[in-house]
Amino acid sequence: MTIRALEKVSVGQNGVGAFILQCKRMDIHYCDYSGSSRGMNAFIKSQLAKFASTHPQIEFAVSPRPRKHPVLTGHYINGKHKSICVKNMDSLQILKKAELLRDASGEKIRKVNKPITSITESVRGVWSPYHGKGMAV
Amino acid sequence: METRHLLRPLSSLSSSTTTTATASAMSSSTSPFTRSIVAAATGRRHQSTTSRTKKMLKIPPHPDFLTPREGESHIIYNPPSAAPSVYHTPFKFLPKTDPRRQANLTQLIRSSADLSGPSANANNLPPPSTKREGAPKMYNVTREQVDEMRTLRAEDPAKWSVQKLAERYKCSHLFIMMCCKAGPEHKAQERERLEAIKARWGPIRSGAREERKKRKALLFKGAI
Amino acid sequence: MKRIRIDRLSSQLLAATPARPPPSSNRIPRALAASRLSPAPSVCQTRCQSTAASPEVIYEDAGRDVAAPKPIDYSKRPLPSPHPDRALRSAKLAALHARLSLSSKIPLQTLARTLIDPSADAHPRFNNVNLAFVGAALLQYHTSEFLVTRYPRLPMTILFAAMKGYAGVPALHQIARAWGIEAAATPGEEVDPGLLQFAPDRPTVTMNRWGYVRAESKELQRYKWRRGVSSRILYDDAFGELVPGESEQSHDGLELSKQRNTKDMIVEDVAQNAHANFVRAVIGAVYLHCGRDVAKTFAKAHVLSRQLDLANLFNFKLPTRELVRLCARENFDAPVARLLSETGRLSRTPVFVVGIYSGTDKLGEGVGPSLDAARISAAINALKSWYLYSPGDTVGVPSDTLAEDAAPWKPVYVDIGEIIS
Repeated sequence: MTIRALEKVSVGQNGVGAFILQCKRMDIHYCDYSGSSRGMNAFIKSQLAKFASTHPQIEFAVSPRPRKHPVLTGHYINGKHKSICVKNMDSLQILKKAELLRDASGEKIRKVNKPITSITESVRGVWSPYHGKGMAV
Repeated sequence: METRHLLRPLSSLSSSTTTTATASAMSSSTSPFTRSIVAAATGRRHQSTTSRTKKMLKIPPHPDFLTPREGESHIIYNPPSAAPSVYHTPFKFLPKTDPRRQANLTQLIRSSADLSGPSANANNLPPPSTKREGAPKMYNVTREQVDEMRTLRAEDPAKWSVQKLAERYKCSHLFIMMCCKAGPEHKAQERERLEAIKARWGPIRSGAREERKKRKALLFKGAI
Repeated sequence: MKRIRIDRLSSQLLAATPARPPPSSNRIPRALAASRLSPAPSVCQTRCQSTAASPEVIYEDAGRDVAAPKPIDYSKRPLPSPHPDRALRSAKLAALHARLSLSSKIPLQTLARTLIDPSADAHPRFNNVNLAFVGAALLQYHTSEFLVTRYPRLPMTILFAAMKGYAGVPALHQIARAWGIEAAATPGEEVDPGLLQFAPDRPTVTMNRWGYVRAESKELQRYKWRRGVSSRILYDDAFGELVPGESEQSHDGLELSKQRNTKDMIVEDVAQNAHANFVRAVIGAVYLHCGRDVAKTFAKAHVLSRQLDLANLFNFKLPTRELVRLCARENFDAPVARLLSETGRLSRTPVFVVGIYSGTDKLGEGVGPSLDAARISAAINALKSWYLYSPGDTVGVPSDTLAEDAAPWKPVYVDIGEIIS
């Protein structure tokens, strides 16, 4: 027996097998007095409870931040966070922003110029000039 | 205005070159040089890259994808032009109970595993990679010869080196080394000689040897 | 409300055995054994920082067996881990429960318990040792049955490496990280129950390794005795790694602690181990509260669905010789290397494509910059395609038959064994 083994660790992809929502915590900051927080206060009063109950995977933290604009911050599993200033927005717009934070993966925004990103090997393999029958052009 | 100034000498040049070139390039009807000159003279300075590449890429489909003339049902078989994957078990390696072996796919798997050609006859196989590859084993050294070989090697290992003995008995170096062992002093001497040679190597050569060792290790890991 | 520690109040109850591992397994959980036998872990769990408290603690420990120590107000001592009742009020824990899509049958208290490593709380009723033991047994069972039925010809060393790649500590650590687990800076009563709690600097807490402890494990470690592969199947842990002996752990505890303090690598291993144990404990909790099938589905979804390219695990030594032995064993024609195509033989960068043929069948092919390298890589590919034979994705596993109204077990392909050369 001459074979020895190399140590490798399996690689997981979110959504293959199980899906884990990447947004794990959402911080909601508001101000009681300033006008820019009017929409945020309405959001907290009317829509936050429903939004939070439909997303039990996310930990919500509501805290006042006096004399500052209202901010939504999403914390992600990869350790990054994403903040959105929601000053002067109405509650529906803020809901949209909260959904944006929920759907984000936490990765940096970068240009995707390949239609498919996969770690699965291609069925037909990598093209090689030394194989195949070829054809006359 | 300026373009006309520019064009005029060009056109005159082109007419002169065409007249001179026709004489020389009568046999080869249009050399690329004259073609470009003519194109410049007629006002088309260059061809559009998109249209050219599109035209170049317009090739008929691979013959495998063409329907046969009779219009009968057929299977498109076009194996990938890629190195075969190790997850595709060769037909010979399939166990007896495997459904792939039991189903009537024998011919298909045989031909897909073999990319050298459609028929895998014994005559049609590619050539062996080296001359000795696949040659039948000779087993030509007798027991007496082995004993003689051992005495020779024990007498004078410097004179009867492995190479000399292999030449004499017409067998491989490995077989000689399996049969007889040199004494410890000869081994030490040889090692000393090798060390002296290695000491003379410069950084480039010794570095290259190191790299070769690393490449070998990577090869056995399947990394290259 | 404070939890009362019975073992602190009376020394007789200290010897009470906690829940035993399943009787079917003959392997002994090391951490369990350690926490059951030696009183040392309860020393380390005291978190009294003040100088006044520490001599008291030492006195209490030394005099435990001799006489009843003078009464200490235990209710003022902080607990080593958060109270189970606090689990219901932790947002992090509820979010984790929902993120893993766990069934509502699994209470939050159990999930909180899976997050407590024995290095944080040595009491086996409050840490995750027992759950992790059940989870590890299940996970290793499902991983091994998946690998053995899917790739019946894998050599044993590769099987061990694949087991480790799927269900070993590094893989489980990555899974825990992908679940969004955060570790508490230091364990304690005041910590949020949704954080993973372990203490990297506790010297006396044994690491959780499960397996058969060999009688000669001490000598194996000291003199580097050889361990054959076939003995690794019977003894040792599920990954073919040596389980350190009991005596070595308990006697050389001080020495070990020094080592751990000096070597950063081992300290890092503590964090990885804690994360891995958490994943195992979650699987154990799923099994306990939801049953076998749900636990199997959970393990499949989170662990076995990950990708591990088994072809990259092989490290050959004598591939050509092994291929010759294989062909002789299986009564194939002797393998012959044949040149399929080449380019630039006299240039600086030649490429040769060599195929290995047995009779008229091609067994494998390889590309290399020299004829020899191409031949070796072709032999490697041929051997890999032998070892990586798979009966298909749809092959059943033995645990499928455990369900009621399951179809009778159809025997899978069993190989005669790896090539000996």
